[in-house]
Amino acid sequence: MASPGKEKPEVVFDHGVPVLAPGHSYGSVTDKISAIVLTRGTRRGWWIGLAISLFFLMLFNLSAGYLLAKGVGIWGIKIPVAWGFAIVNFVWWIGIGHAGTLISAFLLLMRQRWRTSINRFAEAMTIFAVICAAQFPLFHMGRPWLFYWLIPYPDTMGTWPQFRSPLVWDVFAVSTYATVSVLFWFVGLIPDLATLRDRARHWFAKRAYGVLAMGWRGSAMHWKRYEMASLLLAGLATPLVVSVHTVVSFDFTIAIVPGWHSTIFPPYFVAGAIYSGFAMVLTLAIPLRHYYHLEDFVTSRHLDNMAKMLLATGLIVAYGYMMETFMAFYGGNQYDKFMMLNRMTGPYAPVYWALIACNIAIPLTLLWSARIRRNVKALFVLSLIVQTGMWLERFIIVVTSLHRDFVPSAWGMYYPTKWDLAFFTGTIGLFFTLFYLFIRYLPMISIFEMRELVHKTEEATV
Amino acid sequence: MNGNDSEFGRIQQRFAIAGAAALLLCLAGAFFQPAQFFRSYLLSFVFWTGIGIGCMAILMLHHLVGGNWGFGIRRCLEAAAGNFPLMAVLFLPVLIGLLKFDLYSWSDWKAADHPYLNKPFFIVRSAIYFAAWITLAHFLEKWSVEQDRTADPALTSRLQNLSGPGLLIYGLTVTYMSVDWVMSLEPEWFSTIYGMIFMVTEAVAAMAFVTVMVMLLADRPPLAGFVTPLLLNDYGNLLFTFTMLWAYLSFSQYLIIWSGNLQDEIPWYMVRANGGWAWVALFLLIFHFFVPFLLLLSRFMKRKIRVLGAIALGLVLVSFVDLFWLLTPAFEKAGPQFHWMDWVAALGIGCLWLAGFVSRLKSRPLMPLHDPRCEVVLEHGA
Repeated sequence: MASPGKEKPEVVFDHGVPVLAPGHSYGSVTDKISAIVLTRGTRRGWWIGLAISLFFLMLFNLSAGYLLAKGVGIWGIKIPVAWGFAIVNFVWWIGIGHAGTLISAFLLLMRQRWRTSINRFAEAMTIFAVICAAQFPLFHMGRPWLFYWLIPYPDTMGTWPQFRSPLVWDVFAVSTYATVSVLFWFVGLIPDLATLRDRARHWFAKRAYGVLAMGWRGSAMHWKRYEMASLLLAGLATPLVVSVHTVVSFDFTIAIVPGWHSTIFPPYFVAGAIYSGFAMVLTLAIPLRHYYHLEDFVTSRHLDNMAKMLLATGLIVAYGYMMETFMAFYGGNQYDKFMMLNRMTGPYAPVYWALIACNIAIPLTLLWSARIRRNVKALFVLSLIVQTGMWLERFIIVVTSLHRDFVPSAWGMYYPTKWDLAFFTGTIGLFFTLFYLFIRYLPMISIFEMRELVHKTEEATV
Repeated sequence: MNGNDSEFGRIQQRFAIAGAAALLLCLAGAFFQPAQFFRSYLLSFVFWTGIGIGCMAILMLHHLVGGNWGFGIRRCLEAAAGNFPLMAVLFLPVLIGLLKFDLYSWSDWKAADHPYLNKPFFIVRSAIYFAAWITLAHFLEKWSVEQDRTADPALTSRLQNLSGPGLLIYGLTVTYMSVDWVMSLEPEWFSTIYGMIFMVTEAVAAMAFVTVMVMLLADRPPLAGFVTPLLLNDYGNLLFTFTMLWAYLSFSQYLIIWSGNLQDEIPWYMVRANGGWAWVALFLLIFHFFVPFLLLLSRFMKRKIRVLGAIALGLVLVSFVDLFWLLTPAFEKAGPQFHWMDWVAALGIGCLWLAGFVSRLKSRPLMPLHDPRCEVVLEHGA
């Protein structure tokens, strides 16, 4: 593996560093990416990874089954903390998805070419993260088979969802998000599916990719329509980067609980979502480029750029913490002040300080250094730290705000049970199972967009 | 230096005279209505300082991320950011208002009552803000000028390295500045998103201001060859983004406070969304969001320099109304009085500010000549 820390001389600005290593042709790009799916066969590492993921997926099935049999009482939720792991994990997963949409839609509109090699698997990550996120509110309802009651339709019972509840806004926000993300991903896949159809040897693969490619022949008319569709979808998806987590933040802020009711929440939740999302992209990209030898495509420039995104969004998150703390003391509201002191010194103080360490103290100091940003191992570790930190943040917001609110007689503690943990790790299994299937059966890097990049790179290096 | 010396010199002189005259008029007004003078003065002072701050932020953003768009407006941004020493001098009346005329209702609080809102700490903080802005603007300007002279590409990375931490300092100072100078006029009210709203308000005003300047300067070399419809499209998109961001943050704050309906928070909106202020709020909703949003969606509008310039000019004015709506209800609870000093003070400080702006603009070429990224742009014909 190339050592990205050394391969690059000091440059004035990183626009000179290619987003694709030089020396690639249209053919070599297509060969290299499609071979992972078509010709290289299934590798042992993949089987082992899938097996571990499947184990956790089974754990998910088990804990979901037991939950349906017994009810949500098997979780640690009770009054006053009626929203425990379920909402923590929901927010965590949905946040992770945001980076995928940001990379594929927003960076497309911003004409950032470096997004090309990471957008495909980042979009896949988005869809899988949304699937995992959806499990929590669904099962938290206790009767998931009645979830459709949340959808407004004129039923015989004459009931409507409570439109003033942000939880209903959530249903619209998340389902729109899921729909647009799947559409965007699939439309982007069509030209590549056609490439796979043309290259596949096995009759079944030919048929399967052929059906999915929907008759793509690569004519000028097809490309014209394709470009138009992807631009429109990008335009549709970009507001979703902001709107989904804004609505998620309304779940909290619309209530008047100290620690939830804070006006900074919408932008700070969005920044936090992108923060954790880019961390997840790094967590996935770094092993992928290593094991599938994709260093030419996912270059140190990509890692550096993503690390910078981490730094920028992390600073906004830090700004959110700062404003919350400052206003709690500036405003002079005794409940706000107590909430903040309780976070820092109360029973969950170790969680709070771990969160500060993981989200602020460690990454936001180290990421200023260009050396760290180009050090693959350091980045991988940092990406895990940030994801832990963002999970802890949601835990702190949800639990510490509820467990001691206004009246001391109503205070209580929240402890997750083993079923909480099983359900959560189970969704991680679900996520990685889907991801392993994705990297085996679909091109994880957009082939045709890389071919466009070949052209650009040749121009730049001549 | 850029061949416009005498013309710009004349303009500068006129602005200086007009500014001095308007401020003298206000001073006469201060004699009769001191309280009103300080309110009007504060509004105008915060507005024009805000344009400078916004310009500096956009300048640092461009140093950090690059892109064609920044080179056309770099000189205007630098010239605007260079006005902080002038604004530091013009801050003195605000201090007099604080110390002698109870401009801030908390001015008799002691440090023991409120460790944050008290006179000594306020003055120290304001000094820190100006020191930070003056220092940042100084180096941003100095190194850019040096590059014009020496064509040293290393200066670009030096500017880049300054801009990262610079933006951090900007975020912190603007946030606390907005709390100190404006939010604390109603010391019982607070909102955690306020600093961010302020940053965006300033960014809208700053971006609109430099777009107007591009319209005025576009015929002169070397800008003449550089300003293309595509570049204007970028400016239009930036304005579009900032107005959307403004609407997003403002709406978030409104929805959260409205739905919470808490005694601590809701009075702020009770004043601003009722009585005469409701009309100002409606005006802002239409002209700070819907109209620019719809106009800037169209490529046609963004690519015609006169049209885009007109939209931008409108946005500069609407930004002033926005600040008026944020700040003045602290004093005029029943509704806006549109006192003559509000406008004359804005004109006075504005003309002095513009005189400083023009004086810096005239002394240098209208575009950075030797930024390596810019040369690439010119070679490839944008």
